[in-house]
Amino acid sequence: MPNLSAQLLAIDFSGLRDEIFPDTENHVIEAGWFVVNDSVFSGFIVVVALLLVALILRLTVIRKWKTTPSPVQMFLEWLVSFFDKSADEMTERYSGIMGPYTLGAAAYICCGVLIEMFGLRPAIADLGACLALALCTFLFIHTLGFASNKARRFKHYLNPINIVSDLAVPVSMTFRLFGSILSGMVIMEMVYILVEGIWFVGLPLVLPAILTPLFTLFHAFIQSYVFASLTLTFVQEATEKIPKKEGRRKRPKPEKAAV
Amino acid sequence: MELLITMIANFLATDGALLGAGIAALTGIGAGVGMGIATGKAVEATARQPEAVGKIRTMLMIGLAFAETTAIYGLLVSILLIFVS
Repeated sequence: MPNLSAQLLAIDFSGLRDEIFPDTENHVIEAGWFVVNDSVFSGFIVVVALLLVALILRLTVIRKWKTTPSPVQMFLEWLVSFFDKSADEMTERYSGIMGPYTLGAAAYICCGVLIEMFGLRPAIADLGACLALALCTFLFIHTLGFASNKARRFKHYLNPINIVSDLAVPVSMTFRLFGSILSGMVIMEMVYILVEGIWFVGLPLVLPAILTPLFTLFHAFIQSYVFASLTLTFVQEATEKIPKKEGRRKRPKPEKAAV
Repeated sequence: MELLITMIANFLATDGALLGAGIAALTGIGAGVGMGIATGKAVEATARQPEAVGKIRTMLMIGLAFAETTAIYGLLVSILLIFVS
């Protein structure tokens, strides 16, 4: 392979910056007052696709619900009961809310990353999308926390460290999601640029086919699972019953017990 | 003396960002050690009590997600240092 080193030297990585952090001139879709960037546009596509799939499944499979299930029905039952069961285990009383929420968030994250395979920018590779998902979780944690413990939850804030750690939750969820999706995207963009420059030994056919499942498919499933289970963990922590102050009255005083 | 200061300033302004990106990527060491310890302990726990494997897996996943976060922060900082400057 005498030509390989020359080909490797000729690869131009200068387009990478524009792919990762696109400028606001060429990558904005503008129609009157409607101004969005690439990520938001692919987010719209994901939402429309998910709604269409849900509608089609509702009209075809769920209408013909049987006791001897078809494969699609088996898959749907497995998917829904997976999230429902984990929500049931973690947040017993609120599993009716948390099960559908975690399924929806996981579906959006998963499809928002997988849209990268069609050549669009992933919907989650944008700080705003991650922040929106993390703020939804933040809202659920505190609403359910106050609904569960009423005013007794304010006792939790007597320790000022707890306020800081509560405020750190959405920030850490945002940057975890954003960082992992962005790093997967950076690696794939680098591979695409690399493959463009080397045009022999069939490498352009094989290398992306091996690496795409690793960095896109795997990432999508892992990150959506992690997001769902972290949401459930935080909600479980917030909705734990704080014991009332009854133990003090029932306990016999030590002096009397000694005498 | 003035030349030296100018040189250092130039270095920090151009190549210093790349050096910082390299240092920021070292967060992977801590995260790797932590995740390795967590996984090893989970394997030990599963070997000792195979019936608790579901609960152990959930805990391991959450622990790994927390440990991974620091590595992702480091990676994000180094990506920002390389490409946004």
